[in-house]
Amino acid sequence: MINEDPALGDLSEIGDAIGDRKLTSVQATEACLHRIETWQPRTNAFLRLEADKALAQARAMDKELAAGKRRGRLHGVPMAHKDMYYRTGQLSTGGSEIRRHWTAPVTATVLERLDAAGVVELGFLNMAEFAAGPTGHNVHHGHCRNPWDGARVTGGSSSGSGASVAARMVYGALGSDTGGSIRLPASACGVVGMKATYGRVSRAGAVARSWSLDHVGPLTRTVRDNARILGVIAGYDPDDSTTSEKAVPDYEATLDGGVAGLRIGVALPEALVPVDAQVGAAVQAATDALGRLGATILPARMPDFTDLYRSAEVMVKCEAAAMHRPWMESGAPYANQVRTRMEAGFFIPATQYIDALRLRAHFVREFLDIAMADVDAVVLPAIPFPVPTLEETDVESSGGPATLSMVARFTGLTRPFNTLGVPALSLPCGFDANGMPIGLQLVGRPFDEALLYRIGHAYQGATDHHRRVPL
Amino acid sequence: MDEKTSLAAGIARHLQGLGYDEKRLAEIATEVDILNGAVRKAAAARLTFDDEPAAFASLMAREAK
Repeated sequence: MINEDPALGDLSEIGDAIGDRKLTSVQATEACLHRIETWQPRTNAFLRLEADKALAQARAMDKELAAGKRRGRLHGVPMAHKDMYYRTGQLSTGGSEIRRHWTAPVTATVLERLDAAGVVELGFLNMAEFAAGPTGHNVHHGHCRNPWDGARVTGGSSSGSGASVAARMVYGALGSDTGGSIRLPASACGVVGMKATYGRVSRAGAVARSWSLDHVGPLTRTVRDNARILGVIAGYDPDDSTTSEKAVPDYEATLDGGVAGLRIGVALPEALVPVDAQVGAAVQAATDALGRLGATILPARMPDFTDLYRSAEVMVKCEAAAMHRPWMESGAPYANQVRTRMEAGFFIPATQYIDALRLRAHFVREFLDIAMADVDAVVLPAIPFPVPTLEETDVESSGGPATLSMVARFTGLTRPFNTLGVPALSLPCGFDANGMPIGLQLVGRPFDEALLYRIGHAYQGATDHHRRVPL
Repeated sequence: MDEKTSLAAGIARHLQGLGYDEKRLAEIATEVDILNGAVRKAAAARLTFDDEPAAFASLMAREAK
């Protein structure tokens, strides 16, 4: 059923309506543009809006449909992406001042795949500078603001992706995730974000933060929407040698499998990061709901991630320092907190960096043996505390110990799964006392995205947190 | 300048060609000390001669659902 305002529909609903000729791509695009007119001033989600180009694309998609050609289930659907996916000859800032006027020499593989699927591109979205920051602050292009409360953070680094999807400006958006940068904005903005298995989605033509830990993935309003996009962008890519040749399943086809018979472990890992009572209660309520749907709920044991956290820091700092060296040497204009977080990478011996990489398989083995031994998936919060304000988390302006501590805790429950490379899905599971969304994180075995989608879809079928729209 | 800060100053100047003031070098030396120590400890407890970085990708493929 299409809403009166098509912008409020889900991506899959709109894609199907366009395919069935009940709605045109132009109508869907115009609805998004209308929504953007209202919400862009409130959120600063877009860095570049390309309305004319999007409308021209939409007309072309409608023309193809009229001629009997449908490219697939995303044909004619408007999206926008974090401003770190290259498109040949076009600006790509990476959220930075350094690349404010830089044009890309190649097109990202994921954009090529979305192009081939007939997606309409509305523009490019705000993000943390070079994807380095979990809050959504950006001193160069203006902070991104949460549509649920403009004084609060969106989460980052895919800040514009979270805000634009939540405010119904776009039906879906690509983000990227090195320590939580898809799942954090998904959680803080009340949308769905998938960090798939490392190697499931190509990173070619995307700005790197850390080659070893970067993951590309979609943010959407529903689990079904997310599954539809991942099905298009996932798969082997000769331009990214870390991608897997494993076949990509039809994620949508198994969504309705339900959770009966599944064993789901619940982790409220106080030992890792203190979890706020409101967040803990929302996660508990979500697992209760999954239990009522037929899943067996068990307490999950998590390994001690202390060594993993430090190893991940070594990887990020060394890889970021190596790629940013020419700019850092020349005194290029970084935000202070972006530059200082990389500097240690110049001082860490190569042996330590290599050992961090060698340790990774051991960390995965420990996680699978301890946390996943008796369960099909693990549930835990995405962000361990209620969504804070921009002011409370502004490390660039205040940088006090309390601010730094809060920002560090932001990624405490997401970062492990980048090092482990396993799939992790964030979806809304409630609202806090401030009316801000709370995110539930589902974690699975390598390449088991289909199961996480199945659990998330069952949960969304029984709840309506994802149906609430910011006003 | 303490020994670790002095070492960081030497790395910055002679190995990396970078210039930092003493305060920043002291901060970096502390940060690197913590990270190096943690990885050395983790490596000592887990790694053997035959461990290689590519084992991660192999394990992910082997454990794939």
